[in-house]
Parts: sequence; C-alpha cells; structure tokens
Amino acid sequence: MLWLLKGGQVSGMVGVGIEIEKLCVGYDKTSVLHDIDLEINSSEFVALLGSSGCGKTTLLKSLSGFIKPMSGQIRVNGNDVAQLPPEQRNMAMVFQSYALWPHMTVRQNMGYGLKLRGMSKEQINRKVDELLTLLGLADFGDRKVPNLSGGQRQRVALGRALAVDSPILLLDEPLSNLDARIRLSMRHEIRSLQQRMGLTAVHVTHDREEAMVMADRIVILNGGHVAQVGTPLEVYEQPKSNFVATFMGAENEIALNVERANGTLSIARQEAVKAASLSVSNEIGDGGVNWQASAAGSVRGRFRSSAAHLRADEAVPEGHLALAGRVTQLSYPGGVFRYEIESAGQLYMIDDPCRYAVGDVVTICVPAGGLHLYSEAA
Amino acid sequence: MSGQSMSVGPGRMGAILLVAPALLMIGFLFVYPFGYSVVSAFTDNGEGSWHIANFTKAIEFYSKDILFTIVIVSLSTVVIGVLAVAIAGYLTLGENPTAVAVLKWLYRWPLFIPFIVSAQLMRTFLAKNGMMNNILTSSGIIEPLAAQSYLDWRGIVITFVWKQTPFVALLVAGAMASIDRTTIDAGRIFGASRLRILIELVVPQIATTLMVGLILSYVVMLSVLSVPLMINAQSPTMLTVDMAWRINSYGDYGVANALGIMSYLFTGVVAWFYLRQSLKDKGA
Repeated sequence: MLWLLKGGQVSGMVGVGIEIEKLCVGYDKTSVLHDIDLEINSSEFVALLGSSGCGKTTLLKSLSGFIKPMSGQIRVNGNDVAQLPPEQRNMAMVFQSYALWPHMTVRQNMGYGLKLRGMSKEQINRKVDELLTLLGLADFGDRKVPNLSGGQRQRVALGRALAVDSPILLLDEPLSNLDARIRLSMRHEIRSLQQRMGLTAVHVTHDREEAMVMADRIVILNGGHVAQVGTPLEVYEQPKSNFVATFMGAENEIALNVERANGTLSIARQEAVKAASLSVSNEIGDGGVNWQASAAGSVRGRFRSSAAHLRADEAVPEGHLALAGRVTQLSYPGGVFRYEIESAGQLYMIDDPCRYAVGDVVTICVPAGGLHLYSEAA
Repeated sequence: MSGQSMSVGPGRMGAILLVAPALLMIGFLFVYPFGYSVVSAFTDNGEGSWHIANFTKAIEFYSKDILFTIVIVSLSTVVIGVLAVAIAGYLTLGENPTAVAVLKWLYRWPLFIPFIVSAQLMRTFLAKNGMMNNILTSSGIIEPLAAQSYLDWRGIVITFVWKQTPFVALLVAGAMASIDRTTIDAGRIFGASRLRILIELVVPQIATTLMVGLILSYVVMLSVLSVPLMINAQSPTMLTVDMAWRINSYGDYGVANALGIMSYLFTGVVAWFYLRQSLKDKGA
C-alpha cells in the first residue's frame, strides 16, 4: 500500500540475531521439540512452517518465554534467554486471536507497552498517532476493540507490537482469522513494515504460500524436528526430503527404477512409464532432476500437478518423464483444468490449460526440472 | 401483532401452566409478604390511615444503627472484593502449581459453613481469651495484657469477610478462567508485572462478574441476623437485630417493616448503580 512506502515518522530500528542450539521442549513428560538448531540473522524474516502438531507454535512459545525449554539455549544477541520470563525478553508479539484488551480503546491498546516503559503521556500520544496513521487507523483511535472489524483488529495488534520498538517481532499465525482478500494485502503490509523497520521477525504459519511470499527463509518442521531450512526458492525447487516435497505441493508420487551415470539419469521402462534419459540438477533453475536419493535403483519420485502437462499423442518432448494414462475426473479451479489421471493403477493430479474429456487417453509429461527423487525409505 | 398470534393456543396454555407453579410461589412467598410489609410500614399494622410515623420512630431510635449497618456492610464488601480478586488472581496467574492447588482446595471451605456456625466459630476465635489471642501470646507476638477482644464491629467484618470471600472468589475465578488467556500473555510479553496484569488487564475484563458477586454478598450481609447477634451484643448494632427486637419484644411490625424497607433501599441504591453501569458498558 502506498502509505507504507511514503516513509512516515516511525523511527527505524535494527533487529538482533537469534541462535537456537540443541533446544528440547516438552509438555509434562511428552517431548515436542527435539534438538532444534537454528540461526536467525538480524533483520531477517523467518517463517516456521509445518502441519498441525509439528511443534512450530511450541518453538515460538519457547522463543517468547511462555514455555521453558527442558534443555538447550536460545541466544539473543549472544545472551542466553532460554530461562527468562517473557517480560524480560524485550520481544513483541502478534497473537493469532490478536489478544487485544477489550476494555481499552485502540489508542490505549497501542500505548500500553509504552506506558509500561515509563514514557510520558505526550510521548505515548505522539508515537501512537504515528502508528495510527501508518496503519490507516487514524479515525479509530478512540474506538473500543469490540467495535472493530477483523482486519482493523489485526492492525491494532500489529501497531501494539510495533509501538514498543522491540527488535524482535513474533507473529503467531496472525493472518489465519482474516478473510482471503484482507489476508493477501496484510501479508505485504507486514512484510513491508518489517523490512522498513529492520526488525527480526519469526512468523508461524501453516499456509505455504503465506510463508513463501513473506519470508526470507523458511523453516519446515516435522514431528518436532527441523526438516529443512532455506529460502523460499530452495525449499520449493529443491526439497531435501520426501516430506518436504509433499508439504511443498509435490503430491504426485511414482515409483521409478533409475541408473545414474555422468550426471544423467536413465529411467527404466515400466508398465506405464516410458524409458527416458534426464539430466541431474547442479543448481536451482538449470532444469535438471532434484536428485536426493542416496543410491540408484528403486527410488520414489514426486512432482507437482502444475509442473507436468498432458499430451493427446505419444510424442514425448526431450528431457521429460512420460506416463501413459486415462482421464478419470476433471474440474476447473480457475486458469487451468485439473485432471485426475489413472496410470497403471495409480492416480495423478495434473493441471493443464487444454480441454480433455473423461475417458481420453493421454500422456503425462513431467519435465526433468519438475521431478524430485528420493530413496524409497526417505 | 396479528390476531392469530394473539390467540391462546394449546402451546401457549402449556407454557402458562408450566410457569404457573413458579409464578404462584413467587407471588405467595415474595410479592404478597413484601407488599404487606410495605403497607404495614406506612400504616398501623395494615389498618387505619397512611402515615410515616414508623419511619420517624425508626430513624429517631435507630439512626446510629442504620449508619453502623451501612459502614459494616460497605467495609466488608470492599475487603471481600480485594481478597476475592487476590485469591482468584493467584489462581489465574500463579506459577507455583502446588500453591495454586492448595489455595484452590482451601479457599472454598467457608462456603459450606452456615452463618450461625461461622459466628459461633468466630466467638471462640476472636474473644479476649480466644484462639487467636492464645496463639499470638504463646508465640510472643503480643503481651498477654495487650490481648483484646475482637467481638465488636471488627468481629462482624471479619466474619462477613471470612464467610463471603469464597463465594465472590469462586465467581471471579471462574470469570478469570474464561477470559482469553492470550490477553494475559500479551501483557506479559509487553513487560507488565503480575500485579499490573491483574489490576489493569484482568480485573477490568471480569468487572461485571465481580460487581454481581459483591452486590449479592452485600444483600446477603444486610439480611444476616445471627452474626451481629452473636458477635456484637452491644449498641450500635445492625438493623436485622433491631428488627428482630421490635417484633419479638414489642410485636411492633410497623417499625420493623420500616427498617426492612430501609434495607431494601440500601440494596436498591447498589442495584441501581450496577444496572446503570451495565447499560453504559452495553452502550459503549
């Protein structure tokens, strides 16, 4: 939004680095996080991504101090804060439910942290006015929280967190209660503010796209372990494990038999799979297969519905894996058709802009760059 | 309203029959005696012309007791409020699980003890040679000669507070447990101490429940006879004792009812403040 780019009066500040080392966290006797090692750079936006129960909220609560770890360190600017209570960590947080105080006005909510820091009434008013303008809430300062819409509450929660000039901003699924349209604009607003103020931000979400568009780096958690850390491009294009590939949308699975020699993969012909020769990727974007398997032989392949396309004939383009199949279902989610293709008793979802009918015989073509290969046990 | 909706159908009759026993009970046990006592207060036991002689006499004889009653009940209400918030606050914000569990188990006990038993218990506890002074003198905190009886206005306040605090704390703790926990977490992460969180963030969110609990306690304390009778057998005393005295000794229902109506008025003032505040909060 324009007002974010105009350069308001909010004073800039620099975030601080966070180092998490061998962090183990649990509830009662149940261990939730196991030996987490993670380094978050100063002024970096990191998204903690994972499915329900993976431990991402527990990790955020450990960072904020609401849960004390069983072992391990959380260093902020080099100082271990793992055993400190939340009030001594100088972090700000935006909660999933916003956690605004309903008996206070917007102005009182945003100014409360400043009041705790002993600022004068004039200073508080000045700072809150700046934030109200910055967040487009200038006309709502004296309104009570229950009389605000979801989007407005979200902004108040964000303003309250930004007001205290904390170098670390924790975001606990702050967009999950908003409707889709507002959520899209809020993603960019939060990201712009974080970059402009130079804050270190840790954002918990289960929304893959949200993490991709907001974060500098994504931490994917699975069962209390870090499954992969990387830039959005890295985790999307080169998922290191079968789990990450599935989580990042590569839902189609295929068992393949491969030979590897001189940077080239030879795919053996199977019931519906045609023999092919594919190059292995050396770096992101070179169009090669994302090879993560430990050895050749039987491997598990994964690819996204959007990575493949369909052909009505059997002519397969160079550098593609081809599977013969038949259309069993189709739907139109917008932009492209989504087909369910049955091939050798297995079902695949493929997006394609061309129109096919149920029952049509087709060939699924997966480019080498869209194929991820893992060991069978991964 | 259409004619159809005005008709008394079988469903409507069923509803009336369903509530009739409750309505009759309220009518016979509350509305009729209340109306009769109001009439009696303004007449000579429900006969003769209307006058305010009973009120004049009540004020002339018992003005000190009226003031005493208001002070005792108001002071007790304030202390109950403070203690109930402290107990419920610790149950909500306390971090020592053992202390929280012990407090949770202990604080409700007085709820199950009747007022008359509480008064008897306090007589043995607060008397000059009572348990409290014995403990204080034997532990060397006070000299035996300095021991004094608390069986006066202080005894009434202590008994009321002891008996009614668990009730208000129970209501308040329930309300505190139901508020959005993240509003407390938000206070902590922004640097608020436990006390500030309690006073500035938690209590305002449960103010309505606290008010209801205190008003109910206020009304109950205004109507208790056994405590002032057993603990403070001297003058000034509370209005309930005066009312019992007028009826039992003189058969003077007129003055007793006049004192009763004054009690209603004290309750009414508090209820009016509460309703006004509720409406203001709803309108905000």
